Amino acid sequence: MTAIQIESLRKSYGDVTAVDGLSIAVDEGELFGLLGPNGAGKTTTMEVLTGQIEPEHGRVAVLGIDPVERPTAVRERVGVLPEKESPPSFVTPREYFDFVGAVRGVPDDEVDERTETWAERLGFAEKLDTLATDLSRGQQQKVMITGAFLHEPPVVFIDEPLANLDPIVQERVKRFLRSYRDAGNTLVVTTHDVDVAAELCSRVGILHGGDLVADVRPSELPAGETLLDVFLDRVDATVERGVPPRD
Amino acid sequence: MTDGRTRRVFVEMFREEWRLHSRLFRGRRFALFPVLIALLAAGTVRLLAVTGTEPGTVFAGLHALAFVFGLHTGSIGLVARDALRNLLGDLTLLVFSARTLPLSQNRLLAVFVLKDVVYYALLFLLPIALGTVPAVVGPGELPGTVPLLWATLTLTFVLGMGATIAGLGLAGRGVAGKALLAAVTASVVAAWLVGVDVVAATPYGAFLAPTAPRLGATAATLLSVFAVGALTFDATDGRQGRTVGPSFRRWRRRVGDPVATKTLLDVHRSTGGVGKALFSAAVLFGVTASLIDLAGQITGVSPSVGVSFGAVLGLSGFTTYNWLTQFDDVDSYLVQPLTVADVFAAKFRAFLLLGPLVGLGVYALALVRRGGPAGEAAVGGVLLVGVACYIFGTTVYLTGLSPNEFLFDTALFAVFGAAMVVPLVPILVVGFVFAPLSLGPLAALGAGGVVLGILGVGLYRRAVPKWSGRYRSG
Repeated sequence: MTAIQIESLRKSYGDVTAVDGLSIAVDEGELFGLLGPNGAGKTTTMEVLTGQIEPEHGRVAVLGIDPVERPTAVRERVGVLPEKESPPSFVTPREYFDFVGAVRGVPDDEVDERTETWAERLGFAEKLDTLATDLSRGQQQKVMITGAFLHEPPVVFIDEPLANLDPIVQERVKRFLRSYRDAGNTLVVTTHDVDVAAELCSRVGILHGGDLVADVRPSELPAGETLLDVFLDRVDATVERGVPPRD
Repeated sequence: MTDGRTRRVFVEMFREEWRLHSRLFRGRRFALFPVLIALLAAGTVRLLAVTGTEPGTVFAGLHALAFVFGLHTGSIGLVARDALRNLLGDLTLLVFSARTLPLSQNRLLAVFVLKDVVYYALLFLLPIALGTVPAVVGPGELPGTVPLLWATLTLTFVLGMGATIAGLGLAGRGVAGKALLAAVTASVVAAWLVGVDVVAATPYGAFLAPTAPRLGATAATLLSVFAVGALTFDATDGRQGRTVGPSFRRWRRRVGDPVATKTLLDVHRSTGGVGKALFSAAVLFGVTASLIDLAGQITGVSPSVGVSFGAVLGLSGFTTYNWLTQFDDVDSYLVQPLTVADVFAAKFRAFLLLGPLVGLGVYALALVRRGGPAGEAAVGGVLLVGVACYIFGTTVYLTGLSPNEFLFDTALFAVFGAAMVVPLVPILVVGFVFAPLSLGPLAALGAGGVVLGILGVGLYRRAVPKWSGRYRSG
């Protein structure tokens, strides 16, 4: 069953076209990667799918709901980890989770239980009562990851999930994301890191110039060919060498 | 750091400030800002001259304004501490680059202050001097008065900045620092009260009589203030890893809305706490008191304390809203199941909770200090709330959730100024001409306050769909 549907999506900022005719379908239970260089349109696509911004053209649906028409209905059912955002500066992680629980209708006792579980999982239990502005980048990223999953949504959008995390926590996050997918949930990971996409995702869409230039399953690539080869062939060829991408 | 590097940092900071403003405030429009300031200054002073105000009174008022402006600009110290912790998000200014460049934070802050002085002296204080002087002195006095006024206004602005930085520095040095700050402030006030010519040691004193002793005293005052600032102010502020007990749920039970709760916690816990908002209102209190005294001197009639203070202190609604929107942006809420309208509603709720606390608190102080009939005091309270709601609605309508940034847009600034002047001038005139007020004018003013409040709420409601569309267009 399709969890996310994108058809002929187009979004511009002034003269700059961020997404240009993009079409993708993501099935329930997939860990889908949106891979692309800087400015490929990954973040814009995620923002449209979560109803944060409106596209000029195209149709999108998440769990059968149009985020353009019903943005809060979509956001009630999904989790979002934006790349740029940090937790609010003057609340502590514990209070931030209270805030997320309050706006998402999660009972206080469940928030408490999940807060403890996540703090132990990602190793920030001793920072739960520290003001977010005084946390390191890595600790802030752990808080934001927790916030995206706190209400246990069936679909989660994650922008650069491993940014600023040490290798040990990176492995824990990867393990968790796979287990979350195995439980039947859908995850969309946007990244410009080819290794992360290859290791983590069951399917990868490569974006370039606002459109999909490849849709591959890393585990099904021919022997000797890597996701990096595909990426360079489809993206680098057009950027550096002026060679049109192969079919 | 060598002088060459300091100079280079200064030039780059100046360029950065210009680009920041011209980009934020729509390019060429920003270049018109000094022209607008000069025209406003000329118009206001001309009006005062028509009412019989002496030039000396105008110059005294201008120096008072420059001092208040300097005090406010000096609060960069407040912002710097928080901004160092990446509160500005994508916006990274050179003043906050000590972690990536081999420059000390205090040196960067010193260059930043110098840049601010030069920048505002050229773009703000020079237009004021150019606009004011021709309106109050004869052509023969122009060549001498304009440079002198510009110089002393600039030094007064510098004194205001220095006073804030020194005050913050002392306040950040524990009980001893706070005690010293209180002692120095009390000494200056006491000296003034017993008749010591405190003004003689200020730039305004040098303007009144530019003699060598007064220039020397002014220089000594400025050097002393900045020496205290340099010795006590720590821009990096080593409060790493601050922990606090969980308060969100307790506050939310009282406030009722999670976004409003978070907003109030932001204000409460950021540097300066709720005192920031009180300070802004206290500045308005000082301005109002000066204006009332000035009006009393000119006409021999004392305006209504309740009406005057109530109406002007309602302007604190702008600064209060500014603090409520200082520490977040709408994007951070749009990853949650919240709409832009939800965010505005939460800001309005927070405003209603904090605004009266700030405005009416300072208003009560004004009534205690100045007295006045109970009826006028009650109507002044209604006016304060009405004007505050009106200014809130106007600000939201014009600037959305970014009140501080866009009000420096010349066109928006002009519209905002006109929107404030249109209701405030008639109120102040009535409070002035008809004081002490009889029942009729009091009832009219009270009704006016209610109408302004309703108008403000109406503007706010119209603003929500407008800004929702803009924010969602990306």
